Amino acid sequence: NEIHPFEDETGIEFFARKNDSSLFAVGMHSKKRPHNLILGRTFNYQILDMIEMGVERCTTMQEHKSQACSVGMKPLMVFNGEAFNRDENLVRLKSILLDLFRGEVADKVSLKGLEYIITVTAGPPGPNGETGLVFFRTYTTSLKKSGLRQPRVELEEMGPSLDLRIRRVRLPTEDMWKLAVQVPKELKVVKVKNISRDGLGDKYGRVHLGKQEINKIQTRKVRALKKNLDGGKPGKRQKMDVDTE
Amino acid sequence: MDVSGILEEHKNKFKPIQVDRLIPTEFDLGLLACFDMNMLDDNRLRAGQQSRDRYLKELSREGAQQMINELFGLPTTVDEDSVYATLPKTTTVLPREKPIPKEKPPTRWEKFAKIKGIQKRKSTGKVFDEDQGEWRRKYGYKGVNNDDQKPWLIEVPGKADQYQDQYQVRRDEKKARIEKNTRRNQRNVEENVAVEKGMKPHEMRKRELQKALVLSKQSTASLGKFDTKLKGEPKTKGLKRKFDPLVGSADSEKSKNMDILNRVAKGESKATVINVRKAQRAVNNAKRAAASKSK
Repeated sequence: NEIHPFEDETGIEFFARKNDSSLFAVGMHSKKRPHNLILGRTFNYQILDMIEMGVERCTTMQEHKSQACSVGMKPLMVFNGEAFNRDENLVRLKSILLDLFRGEVADKVSLKGLEYIITVTAGPPGPNGETGLVFFRTYTTSLKKSGLRQPRVELEEMGPSLDLRIRRVRLPTEDMWKLAVQVPKELKVVKVKNISRDGLGDKYGRVHLGKQEINKIQTRKVRALKKNLDGGKPGKRQKMDVDTE
Repeated sequence: MDVSGILEEHKNKFKPIQVDRLIPTEFDLGLLACFDMNMLDDNRLRAGQQSRDRYLKELSREGAQQMINELFGLPTTVDEDSVYATLPKTTTVLPREKPIPKEKPPTRWEKFAKIKGIQKRKSTGKVFDEDQGEWRRKYGYKGVNNDDQKPWLIEVPGKADQYQDQYQVRRDEKKARIEKNTRRNQRNVEENVAVEKGMKPHEMRKRELQKALVLSKQSTASLGKFDTKLKGEPKTKGLKRKFDPLVGSADSEKSKNMDILNRVAKGESKATVINVRKAQRAVNNAKRAAASKSK
């Protein structure tokens, strides 16, 4: 079953649809691309983005004779190097790795259950500014006393370590990325407007009145303020004068 | 009393947990991740494998230490002998797996409720059963409504037949209610489909009926010419059965028969025989798919 994601997407899309999975990893070896590893994501069963890397050096879990951690733990992830913000390919790699190793989405984590950590470091770039090697390392953590609330962390190398060289990257198309990143209305954060608290903790609200036309405000009718009184019908005025006299 | 000396001694017993960084590390604790933008020592990274790994281990330890420091600073809850830190929301933008589901068009009841202003009331779903003295479900498994034993006595209503089985009547009524409900659900689904396609549901049903009529006519040898017509049924266009005249030129008849024989003798492969009807349908489907994709 030959799958070449960069040449033909249908293979991956088929598997994604059948298994209802959105993350995929393909490993292959050829003379032109030795020890090839492709990590990628799909959106709506179509390939969103993928990154092809050559594994230049690799050590397995058996080679590191340390204690492996339990299955299903969430890893801590550390990304070292400013290249992860600058280089387009590394930004993509960071995003994919975060997705891949995220594990179950949780809002609470047990402080005892932070057993392992994955570090990804960006190596120095090549002479022409090409992306350098990426060092992927896995360690188990042991928390030691430090005399303070936060423990001292000691690491022991466990698990697979890979030296990766980025080969090809497929970035997502603008519109697909826009759709994939859309947040539904219900989850969008609603800004609270016009409510503030002062130093004492009292809650203040602000009410906005529109523009007020002072001339047209409906007040109690006072005859003396009537518009016609000064320049209106002279007859009526005179009548009044006659009466009072 | 010189406390500072004692404090220093105490401090020196343990290894430090402080990590200093020129550019402060960015954290995304929702993902348990941290991003360190500081300059790396490229010389050590270019060095031999062992020293490089040692440098990487140092870097990793410091990164982990920073994260642990942050995590231990989060608000915690204690649950079953383990302390949980409440993680903040993630700040990194990660793409979704599938697109946001489209809003379902409201059902007939929902439309009515909106106009009348009827609010949905939340019920616990359980009812207190006097006989058993416990809370039972309103419906479903061991529910109150499908308990056959429930009414141990049913009075025969005034107008009913004396010998009618009232329990059977109850059961039949329940079945009728279920059927009505499923019919209504089905109707809602059909109406949604019609709305999605942009047609009124009545229109859609009408079209479907007409299509079914035409198809059923085609299934008779006389193409439905002699079927009894319904009131108001439109005249079907284009259904004609063509018969060649019995008496015609011998040549045309000969050529027709020779054609058939040649075809059979040759054993035409599937590739050369085109089913025009199927081909046209395939083309139409492709056009429709392209049109809906481009929408």
